[in-house]
Amino acid sequence: MSSRNHAQWTAPPKLSKGEWVDSRIYTDQAIFEEELDKIWKKSWIPVCHESELKNAYDFRTVTVAREPVIVVRGKDMKVRSFLNVCPHRGNMIERRPSGSFREGSPSGTPRHMTCMFHAWQFDMKGRCTYISRQEEGYQDRLKKEDVGLRELRTEVYFGGFVWVNLDDNNPMTVEDWAAGSLDCLRSSLDEEPLEIFHYHKAIIPCNYKLWHDTNCEFYHDFLHYHNRITGFNDAYFARKNSGFNNGHINVGSFEVQYDKYQGFHSRETLSFPHLPPNHWYMVDMFPGVNFNLRGSALRCDLMTPLGPDKVLIEFRGLGLASDTPEERQTRVQHHNSIWGPFGRNLHEDLLAVTAQGACMHPAAENRHILHARHENETIHDENGMRHYYEEWGRWLDRSPSNPDHAFEAYQIPDPASEGQRASA
Amino acid sequence: MSANNTSNNVVIVEQIKSLIYKTCLNQDDLNWGDWLDSCDDGFEYAIRSYSPEISADMTYLSGNREHMRSLVDMLPKHNSDHSPLKRHCTVYDVQVAEDGRSATATTSLAVYQTLLDGINSHVDAGSSHLFLVGRYNDRFSISDGQVKFAEREVRLLNRRLDKGSHYPI
Repeated sequence: MSSRNHAQWTAPPKLSKGEWVDSRIYTDQAIFEEELDKIWKKSWIPVCHESELKNAYDFRTVTVAREPVIVVRGKDMKVRSFLNVCPHRGNMIERRPSGSFREGSPSGTPRHMTCMFHAWQFDMKGRCTYISRQEEGYQDRLKKEDVGLRELRTEVYFGGFVWVNLDDNNPMTVEDWAAGSLDCLRSSLDEEPLEIFHYHKAIIPCNYKLWHDTNCEFYHDFLHYHNRITGFNDAYFARKNSGFNNGHINVGSFEVQYDKYQGFHSRETLSFPHLPPNHWYMVDMFPGVNFNLRGSALRCDLMTPLGPDKVLIEFRGLGLASDTPEERQTRVQHHNSIWGPFGRNLHEDLLAVTAQGACMHPAAENRHILHARHENETIHDENGMRHYYEEWGRWLDRSPSNPDHAFEAYQIPDPASEGQRASA
Repeated sequence: MSANNTSNNVVIVEQIKSLIYKTCLNQDDLNWGDWLDSCDDGFEYAIRSYSPEISADMTYLSGNREHMRSLVDMLPKHNSDHSPLKRHCTVYDVQVAEDGRSATATTSLAVYQTLLDGINSHVDAGSSHLFLVGRYNDRFSISDGQVKFAEREVRLLNRRLDKGSHYPI
């Protein structure tokens, strides 16, 4: 049979449950709203890196699950985060992407966050320190102590990333949350301070999970001439793709042969601590975070879902704070040649998910998306996506392959081997 | 009389303006070879932007002439968005050095993209939008009355670049 009619095209695949997902999970507005409430508002999200707030009174503004968030470094050098919302009339307190409160603002005094609307002021611990014409308007009915900012759980963890969690009641630390998935990189990233050198963003008309899927599966290396020519060898195909609790995965390393690509050279002269030259690890964390260490440069992708068919992806590149200018230049060049907005691979990946988004928009016909490759949990196995969607189904209590039905735990037979998942 | 007012420099300034404009046309038409042939042996290229998000100056792409030639030679092997780019520029300032052997130019730049195969061609192909905004900061070498690019910095305002591009700007 070379082609199929509509009934055949829409019939469930002859595969085990868990080996495909229903495309409504990428297109349905109600599912998207549930994801924000049940997943994104309860997960640890690395919203920025501490090197973006080097000095006391520095700040950075971000958005998590539609909630505006401000991250600040206090006089005590501790990093804290708050909802970036004034408790008076719900205005956004700080509108700039980053900056310092060391200087005053048109409505406020130095070393304070000031809401420009009515000049209420807050210190770096989120305490309200000034209400304009307080006694005249509120007499003794409302005091500064009553109107502090909403503080969010915040940790600086894993190479200096700033993690925020909107859920006060989730007992897990970031370390609990990572469940061992970051261990393959910790010695490289925790040895000495890191520093950000690259930032750009993309807003792509596709569901955020399609980008995460692309980061989770390497079968799509057929998309990338660079990766095929520098990678496809026995060591590449032996890379393990391992699942961890809470929906995270990581992908083992191998030595990339950069000099196989015309005009590129080996990157063996510059690496990260404890990382063998030219090696490449990747970690994909639930629900939409990616850490990618390729020899001399660390990349971090953070997804901010904007709608069922729209995602903001922020791309960061990092090196060592101790880099000499020459080392930094080399890291930047290595990073950008592949992962920059004009690099060889990132453009190709973004084209692919854009094309997926064009086929899976909210009004599109329902489809079955296959995650059924089994290759002994190695690089082209699709166990990473299966692992993610098992977790996703648990959080939403929806079956990924039929989201109208409640989630049921399932065992997927592995025809390629009896390999065991490396879940912690 | 300043160096820029000599009759010879007036000719040089016009040569530089013409070279910048012709380079836009060559790049628009994917004539990468003609562009790189107008660069001297030590040519350096970079796309840069300042990020208020991370308070840092960033380099998005960089390379010497041979590196850039290799990048464009490899384009047919890559999956790319083939939507044409059109560079609209205005040369605002040209300064010729006192010794007449080098010059700099500042050029305002807007790049438009007309969609072809980047999203859903049936729906989107043929529509144009503003893709990038910035400046060319160029440095030139001048020898025997011939002007060549010695350095080009594409200084973008953009940090949101969506799908990005494989094309030099």
